[in-house]
Amino acid sequence: MSEHRRYKCENDYKPDENRNKGASRWSHCRKRGADGVLRKSNAEEEPARDQRCSQSSRRPESFTTPESDGPVSRVKNWGDEVEAEEMRSNVRRDMHRYRRRILAADFPQRERKISSGSSDSRDSRDSKESPAKGDMETDETTLVRRQKQINYGKNTLAYDRYIKEVPKHMRQQGVHPKTPNKFKKYSRRSWDQQIKLWRVKLHAWDPPAEEGGDLQQIEEIDFDEIMDFEFDVECSADTESQCPTTNAPSLSLTEDSFTGTPKKMMKIEDAEMS
Amino acid sequence: MDSAWAAFDTETQNMLQTAINDPKTVDLDKLSNAIVTQSLKDLSFCKDAGRICYAVVQAEAQKAATSEFRRKLLNRLQQEFIAREETRNRSVQEWVCVVTFICSIFDYIKVNNAPVVALVDPIYDCLFKLAQPDSLMNEEEVDCLVLQLHRVGEQLEQTNSQRMNQLFYLLRDGFLLQEDLSSMTRLLLLEILEFRASGWTLTETAHKYYYSEVAD
Repeated sequence: MSEHRRYKCENDYKPDENRNKGASRWSHCRKRGADGVLRKSNAEEEPARDQRCSQSSRRPESFTTPESDGPVSRVKNWGDEVEAEEMRSNVRRDMHRYRRRILAADFPQRERKISSGSSDSRDSRDSKESPAKGDMETDETTLVRRQKQINYGKNTLAYDRYIKEVPKHMRQQGVHPKTPNKFKKYSRRSWDQQIKLWRVKLHAWDPPAEEGGDLQQIEEIDFDEIMDFEFDVECSADTESQCPTTNAPSLSLTEDSFTGTPKKMMKIEDAEMS
Repeated sequence: MDSAWAAFDTETQNMLQTAINDPKTVDLDKLSNAIVTQSLKDLSFCKDAGRICYAVVQAEAQKAATSEFRRKLLNRLQQEFIAREETRNRSVQEWVCVVTFICSIFDYIKVNNAPVVALVDPIYDCLFKLAQPDSLMNEEEVDCLVLQLHRVGEQLEQTNSQRMNQLFYLLRDGFLLQEDLSSMTRLLLLEILEFRASGWTLTETAHKYYYSEVAD
């Protein structure tokens, strides 16, 4: 007969379950029930086991805290799932485009400027090491993470103003910020550093300062928008302190540091390094 | 303007119009709830609802480069999905609307031209429920089942053929073994069995059999 897959939320609605004695999905890890009585062997105690949502069954049983109903927060909502699907799909599409562009660059034809996409087509010619397929970053998780970091940067007013002001063909190497190429092989640190430098450079195009309202932005940080915590951001207002302070330059939280950087999405600010 | 909009009150229609022109100025949460609420009441609207939602999603993507509406819509739908058992017990019509609406969204809204994978298993879950013996007794539910299979069956199968196979075991069983089915139900089941067997289409003769007017 058909399998009936159940979602985690449904497993929470068990009003009759006697938590002290009854079976829960973690019963068998515990020697005693909550009432202190030694449990018997777990043969009879897992009626719901097969119906557990596959999300929880992936984790080793001994992993979970016995008291809770389970990590409800792990079930993604559909909104998030679709966003993740879209990101992966975009990254894959970018990858195909990039491959084609690289292959085109290997042939001595006049190359058309392709404006969209993740990397400057001059990459391969200039560096003389057009990444053969083996040298290209292809790990989807990595690409998605890098793309997210790029998106944070591109989602700023500064970036908008930059691309309007300086068309691609006018860009000068070194002077104008260039989006890091997510398809090139870099170490994690190297990549994070490139992103940091890129974003700092973009600040040059921040819109003119607004009076007064800037300190507000610290309170309005939306933690969902925060980048990976390993990312070496000089966060100051963030007392949860996700960033190592050892290698961050000492940051004075003056009003000036946050001047003139209103963003489209509120997030942790890179301090200006002057 | 979409004729389906007539189902809404004026306020919602205006919201909808504004959303298409300037998504940033509209309360997308409110709008998505209004659309879902309407669909749950009105089966004929459900089928069009997907199209309307698609229009808003597109508008938002192109004009605002965000996907807030899609996110809100899907999360609201997920709530309805999670509560489907209770909904079905309370009102079969509403339950049927939920399924129709989810399938309509699945049909219209794509991610880079690919179906939304997150919806595939939930839809299968709904169809499996509709294929249960007690549901096959309700013509409303059978009707819904075969209609959705016509609309999105092929896409579902492409994304997960194993579950489609399992579903069709159920349908064959129902058709053959369940004695108290109405002849209408048997007709619908036979048609969908043939439909899938021919590769999600009907041969000309089969089409004539099922869909031609019977001359007395």
